[in-house]
Formats: sequence, structure tokens, C-alpha cells
Amino acid sequence: MTERNHADLGDRFHALRREDAAAAPPFDATLAAARARRAAPPRRRTRWLAAAAVVVVGVALALLFTRPDRHGRTIDLATVRWEGPTDFLLVLPGDELLRTVPDFGRVSVSTLPGAGFTTIDSDRRTP
Amino acid sequence: MSPEALELELARLHPAAFGWAMACCAGDRTAAEDALQASYLKILDGRARFAGRASFRTWLFAVVRNTAAELRRRAALRRLLPLAVLGETPDGRPDAATVLARADATGRLVAALATLPRRQREVLHLVFYQDLTITEAAEVAGVSLGTARTHYERGKAALRKLLKEEPP
Repeated sequence: MTERNHADLGDRFHALRREDAAAAPPFDATLAAARARRAAPPRRRTRWLAAAAVVVVGVALALLFTRPDRHGRTIDLATVRWEGPTDFLLVLPGDELLRTVPDFGRVSVSTLPGAGFTTIDSDRRTP
Repeated sequence: MSPEALELELARLHPAAFGWAMACCAGDRTAAEDALQASYLKILDGRARFAGRASFRTWLFAVVRNTAAELRRRAALRRLLPLAVLGETPDGRPDAATVLARADATGRLVAALATLPRRQREVLHLVFYQDLTITEAAEVAGVSLGTARTHYERGKAALRKLLKEEPP
């Protein structure tokens, strides 16, 4: 096999293997440590929950301080007026009658726009 | 495989598995021990089951490799979170004690290996250190035979060059 024809590299790696084998922890100790991990998962879970809580609180605080304050801003409705493009359709001839209080005996009637007011004197009698 | 037989097999392969864990954790002894313990726990709890499709050694090495990768990802995530201060997080580098304990020649080999891409390092370790064939190395690394062969050739050439450049 081609991978076996490299004795120089093989020797170096085998020396490394001998060093690692001498420094390896005993199998029993590794197994005991592994079993001890099984008995202690809550600590890790608590840590992750604490991390998640920190992240959630951080995001909430960031949103609180960076978003525009909707409740603190007051809008003066008197200064706001929106006119729609079809508002002219709502203007009717003679709608002044509905918005003004007429004098008793005198009736103001607006005619077509630009025609001004025509006053009708109710005391005049036709013969 | 019975739990007793499983433990006997693990005990027999323990030194080789530790060497492989060291390679997977880039020479960080603490991380390697952590990965090995987590791997043994997975196997004994039945979360990793030997189906007999490969040799037990190849399967064990694949478990160790995957576990080390999981721990590496978790460690990287933990370093990003503010809770990193609560626990010591391995940074994936060889610890100072391990580096000092190495002989000069093996220290140079480890240093040269550390500069190679992970896949190349893994395949070279499996072939030269663990005496696996390239086919077995491909199974452990979870790559195709052709890919493993490419990593092997490129890694070998790069390692030779690095070792030739070393001071006399």
C-alpha cells in the first residue's frame, strides 16, 4: 500500500503515539469521570437557562431604549387635517343652510358657486 | 454487544482513542479528555450504538470525532455569550503543559500538523498514527474515499515541506 511507504513520517507519528499513550489518563478514571457527568446535568442546564435569561433581558432592554416612545408623544389633533382627493364631492350647493342659523323671516340661499347670496324677504306679499 | 464487552473494548482501545481525541481537539488535553468522557457516556447510555457495519475501532473514532466537533461548536457559542466568564472555555489550542511535555521532534511534528487544514490533519493522523487504511480513515472522517485520498496526498506533501523547513 502506498500509505505504508513513508517510514519517516510513520516514525515521527509513532513517537507521538508513544508519548500520548504514556500521558493518557487511566481508562477507569476516564470512565468514572464520564459517569460523574451523567449525575450532574442540572448545573449545565441552569447555566444555559441563565444565559438565555440574560439574552432575553438584554434584548428587551435594548428594544425599550431604542424604539420611539409611543406613549410619551402627544399629537395635537387640532393641527392635523387630512384632505382626501375626493373631498370636493362632499361639497353641495346650499350646504351653508345646514351650517348657519337663519334669521327668522329671512332666508339666505346660496345658489351656484360664485353667485353670492340671495335674500328673500318673507314680509313681501304678492298682490 | 453487552455492556461488559463494550467496556472491555473501550478499555483496549483507550490509549488510541485518547490519541485520536487529542488530534480532534488540536492538542488541547483538557478538551480531549472532555470529548473522550462525553463519547464514552454516549456509548454506555446507548445514544451511540455500534451497528457492526464498520470495525469497532473505526466506529469509536467516528463517535469521538463527532463528539469533539459538538463540544467545539458549544465552546465557540459559549465564548460569544456573556456567560463565558462563569466557566473555563477551551479555545481549541494546545495547552502549555502538553506543549512543554513534548519531546523536541514530536513537538515539531505537532506544531507542523497544527498549521494544516483540519481534514488533512485528521486523515494523516488516522493513517500514520492509528495505522488505518485510507478507506478506514475516510469512514471515520465521514468523507468519500477520493476526498480522503486527496486530503492524504496534499497533507503529506505539506507536512513534508513543513518538516524540511524546520531548523536543524
